[in-house]
Amino acid sequence: MSLEIAIDRVVGGAESPTAVVGLVGELDAANYLEVIDAGRRLYEDGIRRLVLDLSGLTFIASSGLVALHSLILIMAGEAPPDPENGWGAFHTLAHDVSGGPQTAVQLCGIGPAVDRVLVRTGMGRLFLVHPDRAAALAAG
Amino acid sequence: MADGTARSLTVDAGVDRLAEVRAFVRAAARALGASDDSVVDLVQAVDEAATNVIVHGYAGQPGAIDVTTERHGRYVVVTLSDECPPFDPTAVPEPDLSRLERWRPGGKGIHLIRAATDRLRYRPRGTRGNVLTMIRTLTAREGEEA
Repeated sequence: MSLEIAIDRVVGGAESPTAVVGLVGELDAANYLEVIDAGRRLYEDGIRRLVLDLSGLTFIASSGLVALHSLILIMAGEAPPDPENGWGAFHTLAHDVSGGPQTAVQLCGIGPAVDRVLVRTGMGRLFLVHPDRAAALAAG
Repeated sequence: MADGTARSLTVDAGVDRLAEVRAFVRAAARALGASDDSVVDLVQAVDEAATNVIVHGYAGQPGAIDVTTERHGRYVVVTLSDECPPFDPTAVPEPDLSRLERWRPGGKGIHLIRAATDRLRYRPRGTRGNVLTMIRTLTAREGEEA
């Protein structure tokens, strides 16, 4: 199964231009770069906040975690490592979560398979998680 | 001793074949009687292991990956074989997830393999190649009630 990236809505005012991005299918090493590229394009278009709707995501590999982390960096105006230069650069990254989850990239609609990966890797600590899009958008 | 028929799949070492590997493991584990939880775990473990072989082992060079599934009593046993330079993932140290102030995206693949399986075994395959065996209970995890 491939991955569909659906950018369904762009909301928010000038202070917080927001895109809702639905990921449908399986996120793995074959397609995680597409997610990073989509994030780069949205940032170039002025988007500074993402709501990722993962209700249609049935599988996420560790490479998918790299994509989610890269989106955080992109929305913060930082450049994630270029995978063309090898995976070693990702292994040197460390994300400071001492201040709690960041808010520029928020998640909603997480199913059990994806939740299991976020819990097992500790990555859930990086995100605010909402039950659905409406709750995520209402949270601001 | 194996119960029933083993199933095998051989694919070229490319990330574009990972979905096929996952579909094979998903169907084979279900046919062996694995629970939904067990199927999810096995698919995760095999995907991570196959990705490591493709990305780090073959590293762009042509090659093949063999996947075999079979049942041993109350376990599903999945074996992944390659012809890459020797690499023992069971020797990789566990990441320290207790350090709450920092989160690192790297090195999570092998951690996920360990977390998704009950036992993980490695042996070299002759002079060049690796065999990784991933074992998961059919239903409840070891230490859990069925």
